[in-house]
Amino acid sequence: MVGPITLILLVLLTGAVITLLTRTREQARVVALISSGIGLLIAIKMYLTYVGGAGMQFTESVSWIPSLGIGYNVGVDGIGLPMVILATLISFLCVIYAWGEGNRPNQFFGLVLLMDMALVGVFASLDFFLFYIFWELTLIPMFFLIGIWGGPRKHYAAIKFLIYTHVASVAMMLAIFAMYYFNGAATGTYTFDMVYLLDAYSKGVVSISPLWINLILGGMLFGFMVKMPAVPFHTWLPDAHVEAPTVGSILLAAVLLKMGGYGLFRVIIPLMANPDASTVFVLVIAIFGVVSILFSTFVALAQKDLKKLVAYSSIGHMGYISLGVAGAVAFGASEVPRILAETGAMYQMFSHGIITAVLFGSVGVIQHATGTRIIDDLGGLTKHMPKLAFIMLAGFLASLGLPGMSGFVAEFAILTGSFSQIPIFVLLAMFGIVFVAAYHLWAIQRALFGPYNEHLGDIHDIAIYELIPLAILVALIIALGTPNPICSHLFAEVMQPTATHILSMLPQGGLL
Amino acid sequence: MIPLEWYLALAAVLFSIGAYGILVERNGLKVLMCLEILLNAANINLVAFSRENLMGQEFALFSIAIAACEVAVGLALLIMLFRYMDTIDLETFNILRW
Amino acid sequence: MAWIDYAYWIALLPLIGFVLELFIGKYTYKRGGLFANLAILGSTIIALGTLMDVLGGARIDVSVPWFYDGIVVGYLIDPLAIVMLCMVSFVSLMIHLYALGYMEEDPDKSLYFAETSLFTCGMLGLVLSNNLLQLFIFWELVGLCSYLLIGFWWYKPEAAAAGKKAFLTTRVGDVLFLAGIILLYFNVSHLPEPLSFRYIFSFEVLETIPPAHLTAIALLFLGGAVGKSSQFPLHVWIPDAMEGPTTVSALIHAATMVTAGIYLVARTYPIFMASPNALVVVAVLGGFTALFAATLGLVVNDIKRVLAYSTISQLGYMLCMLGVGSIIGAFAVGYSLFHLISHAFFKALLFLCAGAVLHGLANARDLREMGGLLKKMPVTGIAMLIGALSLSGFPLTAGFFSKDRIIETAYEYGAATGNFLPWIFILVAALLTAIYTFRLWFMAFTGEPRSYLAEHAHEASKIMTTPLIVLATFALFFGLAQSRFYEFVGANFDSHLIEELAHLGGYHFHEAHAVPFIVMILPAICAIGGIGIAYGIWYNSRVDLSKYISKDNPIYKVLWNKYYLDYIFKDLIAERLFGFVALLAEAFDKYIIDGVVNAISWIVIKIGSVLRKVQTGVVETYATAVVIGVVLLIMLIGGVL
Repeated sequence: MVGPITLILLVLLTGAVITLLTRTREQARVVALISSGIGLLIAIKMYLTYVGGAGMQFTESVSWIPSLGIGYNVGVDGIGLPMVILATLISFLCVIYAWGEGNRPNQFFGLVLLMDMALVGVFASLDFFLFYIFWELTLIPMFFLIGIWGGPRKHYAAIKFLIYTHVASVAMMLAIFAMYYFNGAATGTYTFDMVYLLDAYSKGVVSISPLWINLILGGMLFGFMVKMPAVPFHTWLPDAHVEAPTVGSILLAAVLLKMGGYGLFRVIIPLMANPDASTVFVLVIAIFGVVSILFSTFVALAQKDLKKLVAYSSIGHMGYISLGVAGAVAFGASEVPRILAETGAMYQMFSHGIITAVLFGSVGVIQHATGTRIIDDLGGLTKHMPKLAFIMLAGFLASLGLPGMSGFVAEFAILTGSFSQIPIFVLLAMFGIVFVAAYHLWAIQRALFGPYNEHLGDIHDIAIYELIPLAILVALIIALGTPNPICSHLFAEVMQPTATHILSMLPQGGLL
Repeated sequence: MIPLEWYLALAAVLFSIGAYGILVERNGLKVLMCLEILLNAANINLVAFSRENLMGQEFALFSIAIAACEVAVGLALLIMLFRYMDTIDLETFNILRW
Repeated sequence: MAWIDYAYWIALLPLIGFVLELFIGKYTYKRGGLFANLAILGSTIIALGTLMDVLGGARIDVSVPWFYDGIVVGYLIDPLAIVMLCMVSFVSLMIHLYALGYMEEDPDKSLYFAETSLFTCGMLGLVLSNNLLQLFIFWELVGLCSYLLIGFWWYKPEAAAAGKKAFLTTRVGDVLFLAGIILLYFNVSHLPEPLSFRYIFSFEVLETIPPAHLTAIALLFLGGAVGKSSQFPLHVWIPDAMEGPTTVSALIHAATMVTAGIYLVARTYPIFMASPNALVVVAVLGGFTALFAATLGLVVNDIKRVLAYSTISQLGYMLCMLGVGSIIGAFAVGYSLFHLISHAFFKALLFLCAGAVLHGLANARDLREMGGLLKKMPVTGIAMLIGALSLSGFPLTAGFFSKDRIIETAYEYGAATGNFLPWIFILVAALLTAIYTFRLWFMAFTGEPRSYLAEHAHEASKIMTTPLIVLATFALFFGLAQSRFYEFVGANFDSHLIEELAHLGGYHFHEAHAVPFIVMILPAICAIGGIGIAYGIWYNSRVDLSKYISKDNPIYKVLWNKYYLDYIFKDLIAERLFGFVALLAEAFDKYIIDGVVNAISWIVIKIGSVLRKVQTGVVETYATAVVIGVVLLIMLIGGVL
């Protein structure tokens, strides 16, 4: 009997293959809808049967290449499971959103499903080898989504995306091999088992020189920071977003970036627990976080392209995750704020995924309807697109961290939790809040309000298949930001035990 | 019994002849023949070492079969090249460089 | 069961009203307004019922856990909360009724009622909150509604810009408030519910917080209040906010939302009491704002903006009262709240009257185009006169009692501490208030009509004048509730606790001295004198102002340009400075960071283009390389090398 995770992977893979083989748009999108829907349903079923606690659940372990210690190990915990749900949810909604796609629909939907499968694989892998395969597999569908369905400079953007993130992956791969080798050399068991390796390294049972553990940590961190992306490794992101088709942007920002954040929780924190690891990395992560928040905010202020503005807002929000992780691992007398910061960072992963999907989705609708994304060429869109205006306003308000929306819960938890440990960085990050609001409201004011720009002609409002996924996401954003059982359950029952568990690997009180 | 070294020396000589031919010849047919000599040099070694067990001879038979296939493919390629370019001088086939 | 157990419905009903109004409002009676009005009527009834319970001594404080240990949501009913709840729901009801007439023709009527309903929910929720996080959430929710409602006529560029300005300016205050919450959490994270008032407001807890932190927390909260209550220097957004519908100005920017800042300071008064020096800042800042805004009110010609500046000024009084309350303790909250509530009545009244004037004059807002309106719209005129009298503090109106108490306390404060600054500020402000208020009234309602529109003005409909009459009654007679109110709200905080905390903060309470008779009647003299001056200038025209009103007069010029603060904030700081920083960051991003990336790829490509020459395309060359390589390998393995 296969477990739910394997089932999701198989369903999505089969769906991808069948979709690629279909001939008409009707067939392609129906198959894609059904298979991504099944994937989502299984993920939700997993969430409903998930037992609050720290350890891995829904684990499956099959020996794959025993001579090298490679196994098919999958399982999820309180951070992996929300990410699996995020990936399947966003992909499902993307299929609905792209219902009208007319250019090579079978390949388009097939790639979306393949992307979905690869992402689920990344978040559910418990074997470094498998993890790396899925990690690299995510590049391929995205490369083609940008390269085939993209904008005018799609080839430049696709190549830049592929090579830049691939270089980072190589650094990560070398770090994985180093972990594999040193563990094998010290203990005699050569294995890629993620849980085992991380446990061994976090407890320091593997004898390893400080130079090597720091190199491993640095390589991993580089891999994840490029993916997040953190300033200054972010320049592939705006290019990729600007050229990518809307669905590509949604998948990229909402889920793909989360792989970097996921790596911080899954790999970086346990590695930092190693007694020989340098505590400077705490500062490094905090600086990456704050610089990402502030720098992206100011760059966003100067953007003229709506989509680029949204892309930079993503960088800022991902900076909060780095900040929260740094705040969680830094030294603090009390556990309470540290766990709050850590859980807040996890919550931000999910929250940003759904918020940014709304942003890119509504920008995509505008581009579709008006043919432009340049903010100065828009204006008064509310006149012809009242429904879009509502959705977009909700999305932008959520993105600027309005209380009552999921982003605020996460950011409040991160800022409040981190303040005890790294007060200076938190204050610097808070300095950016006003400017975050400024560029969001500026864009809203120019694009949606004011007199209608008659040059745009007679445009139509958001299509129903675009409205449904965005409305679902907005509802979810509000559900995750207001006091109700869904929010409390995700935060306190699912994420918090895992956060506590991850932090318990660190020495008492944290690092630094 | 002839000492092993003699076989090896013979194989080495054959190998060198083959390698020399590949390096200096421009005629595609000659290069292909030199390749065969190389393979046969390897075969001699395999057979020579097979006095302990018969594995080497199995391999030799195997590689003869492969050599036959390879020659078939190689000659076919050369015939095609000749039809297109009216020559089998390998110097002229350099369009795959930078 | 008592009313108080259902008190959370006070905030929930308008939320339901919002949802219904948003989705099905436009299909109902007269395209919207029904659900919102019913919901707020329900809230008002429950609030009044709860008031009876609280007067009978009932209190309630309930918490439900939220997403993290100690992070809770809940509601709290005490005298401070219930008087606010009654005021907000009642004034909101009046304004909603009025809006049925005022917004009748608007195509987005249901959306309007949805948003005001959501706003009412936010404001009531803010007052009900029993912890700071929840208060902050509602705090931002009302800010959001303010943003949406200022920009309700989104197609007007000024309205869209004003909404953004309001949101961003208050956002500055909000960030300070949030920083205060975080700093507080940092100090009390060991408590079972770190942000709940009932745990924070104890001597043992506040004692453990370092005094520097306490002052920082109090000042950061004050920063939030300054943003929300539009105090100097973050007052710049309120005049622009008048671009919204007048009912919105009445509800949000006069009666309720802007008082949230005062409510915050009142609610966290124990923290302020325990913070050394914080209350001094509160007193001086409040007094200064009262005077500052009053001077600005003298020169503007937009009827709504005059009222907007008077709102800022009156909020300054309330803040000042809380500040000078450091010599009298817990009762300061009662005094301040009394002015808050009487202000809510008369200011809502004034704005609704202004709305009726606008309605009658096809949205002309310039006072210079009005005149002689009293004959055309008598009900509005009389109601506005009552509001103006109350605002000026004319003896025996509600405003007189509430303002008089503040000015007297400020004098006592001066006598006790030697700091007469707040008293002087608000006394002069009282004089100016009377002048600009009656300037408005005389210019609008007396004399000859000065434009075509003013000649053809008409009285508003019944549904609009009824709320005016009700509010006017309160603006006249609310003063009667004075002493009962002080006892009720003044006892909100345990006076013993406040005394202990004042010790912590280094404040000393003083017994009330007998205030000199002249000081006692000074406020009344100011009010009547001010009205007299206005009468002389704008009714009788005994003084010709035209030679002073010119751009050559430096004082007039400074006032007309609002002390250049708008220019400094918007043009210099927001656009020039941060615009420059943004461009700098953008250039850095594009040319330096991305430049490095592209440079690396360029270098790699160049190296490749050199190295590819090795690939000659001649098979023999490759074979030679292979053979040499093999030979080298053999030698290496054989140990020759």
